Amino acid sequence: MTADAFLFWFLAIVTLGSGLMVILQKNPIYSALSLAMTMVGMAALFVTLNAFFIAGVQLIVYAGAVMVLFTMVIMLFDLKQDIQAFTRGKLSGILKIASVGLLAGLVVGAIAMSVGLLTEKTTDNPVLVGNGMETTKALGQILYTKYIFGFEALGVLLLVIAVGAVALSRSKGGTHER
Amino acid sequence: MNADFITNIGLTHYLVLSAILFAMGMAGVLLRRNVLVLLMSIELMLNSVNLTFIAFSKFLGILDGHIMVFFVMTIAAAEAAVGLALAVSIFKRFNEVNIRFFEHLKG
Amino acid sequence: MGMGKDSFEIIVNGLKLVVIFLMMVQLVPILVWVERRGSAFIQNRLGPNRVGPLGLMQLLADAVKFLTKEAFVPSTAKPLLYYAAPVFALIPGAVAFSAIPMSTPLTVGTFELFGQTWGPYTFLVQGYDIGVGIVFILGVSSLAAYTLLMAGFGSGNKYSLMGALRASAQTISYELALGLSIVGVIMMYGTFHLGDMTAAQQGTLHFQFMGYTVAANWLPNWGIFFQPLGALIFFAATFAESNRLPFDLAEGESELVAGFHTEYGGFKFNMFFIGEYGHMMISAGLMSIFFFGGYGIPFVSVDQVHQWASTVTANANWANALVSLIHFLVFNVKFFFFLWVFIWVRWTLPRFRYDQLMDLGWKTMLPWALANTIITAFVIYLASL
Repeated sequence: MTADAFLFWFLAIVTLGSGLMVILQKNPIYSALSLAMTMVGMAALFVTLNAFFIAGVQLIVYAGAVMVLFTMVIMLFDLKQDIQAFTRGKLSGILKIASVGLLAGLVVGAIAMSVGLLTEKTTDNPVLVGNGMETTKALGQILYTKYIFGFEALGVLLLVIAVGAVALSRSKGGTHER
Repeated sequence: MNADFITNIGLTHYLVLSAILFAMGMAGVLLRRNVLVLLMSIELMLNSVNLTFIAFSKFLGILDGHIMVFFVMTIAAAEAAVGLALAVSIFKRFNEVNIRFFEHLKG
Repeated sequence: MGMGKDSFEIIVNGLKLVVIFLMMVQLVPILVWVERRGSAFIQNRLGPNRVGPLGLMQLLADAVKFLTKEAFVPSTAKPLLYYAAPVFALIPGAVAFSAIPMSTPLTVGTFELFGQTWGPYTFLVQGYDIGVGIVFILGVSSLAAYTLLMAGFGSGNKYSLMGALRASAQTISYELALGLSIVGVIMMYGTFHLGDMTAAQQGTLHFQFMGYTVAANWLPNWGIFFQPLGALIFFAATFAESNRLPFDLAEGESELVAGFHTEYGGFKFNMFFIGEYGHMMISAGLMSIFFFGGYGIPFVSVDQVHQWASTVTANANWANALVSLIHFLVFNVKFFFFLWVFIWVRWTLPRFRYDQLMDLGWKTMLPWALANTIITAFVIYLASL
């Protein structure tokens, strides 16, 4: 077993285990901490795919900011154990699990069928090998030329979101002002 | 399950991993009643899609997948901000963040 | 990203990681001693001076005291989080500290050992070399917010929870100013790689501006002369990041007993302490790399040191080792100077109020850091004309 394969299986087990914890834990605080673990595992998976810069951004944005915000909000709520953590009806629950299972089976089956249809290029592209600097440089170049419109649109979106979040949290009765 | 499947990591492995994570996130959205856990499950689904993008861009040798991951991350952060603001205002009113209170949002 | 190509290189690289971790942990008692003696010096007192010469043995006595304290869990605590938090407090500091380059790479030629020839090696004087160095360090050290939250929530104590919420809110607010203040440096050197940044700061001050070469031989080629505002904001933000005075609202003894580590004692408390000092060390190391030339000697480039070393010894391996040693010592001088500044500021300035802290972070440092970024981009564009 090579080091790459070992790393992949280890990270796969970590992400799947902590991802399962997110949906199975009754206390939301443990869900949030498990999701943070999933994010860190995902960042490590990005490193195994040579996406160093994206891995760093994942750590800073997701694990370092978004999930800390979630954890802080949950701690401020000081929720006791959820009385109704899971869905109510038994029949609807079974239906939901069955539909999820069906979707997962379909997706995994489709991937398994399509093995070998895609031609894999692993080493002939100089942009995607190396220690990350070349990839980051190329990434910056296409972000600010080809995708400049999307970039600017996201800037506007973020401004709107910031104003909206402040307005929502400052209104007196929340969404139920009388 | 042959030895080649275990030792030779290719595109398929990453795709199956991200599919399983996506299904987990979907199960969370369908089964849980807590709004915060719902939001976290959505984050999990977005993350699994990010993994797909990165895996494809590595194995096809195109960088555009990385750009999509950037955009998805930004939108996920924005979604988390608005979702948490909504959850806070629901909590202020009902002292609980169960999804059934979101019925009051209409009108 | 490999550990090495044969067993010797793998063993040396593995040992290096252990040595750097031990270096970080072993610096803490020395810094505690410096902090206590230094505060006494600043406040015109004596400080610890009973145990051993100059009170140096106080460190050992403290260690014994920490190890023999009763391990105890408050009855309202959540044991899993309560025990996990101090362990996780060590990880971000240790992982990020290993990525800081502390000297020039050590090149070893071929040599005979155990009846076998071992090929030429290049060992980096850092735990591991990562291409996107600074992004990695920022990402890993942003994970420290979780340990605070876990400790605060796991203790089951209102003061701890308040302290943890304050501390993590402060950490994620100042991360913005911290990240933006070094964007100017990254644009100027055109790299995320810490070693390349250090290499770009050798010799005396000179730069290209609109086709002309501007040189000032009486100044070293350090980042602070190009980015004074960035350096100021970065240094101030690192104080908030490592929860040190004047920004140690997390502890705030007069309001919150001791903040998130109120319920911790003995060795568990000590681990939080090591985590806090680890943050200080990362900040001091990054400060000297970005703005003060890293391991470079002022006015002198690495090549000149190499020439001097080859006149001292004829053996190339010993000359390389000498060069690495000199640069390591120079790095440590800068590193310890900034650690001393951390201690100096702690015993000089009073604590901010929480709203003042947030105002400073969001309304002063963030806009100035943004302005610094824009002006730097504009000047770089002008200079390239």
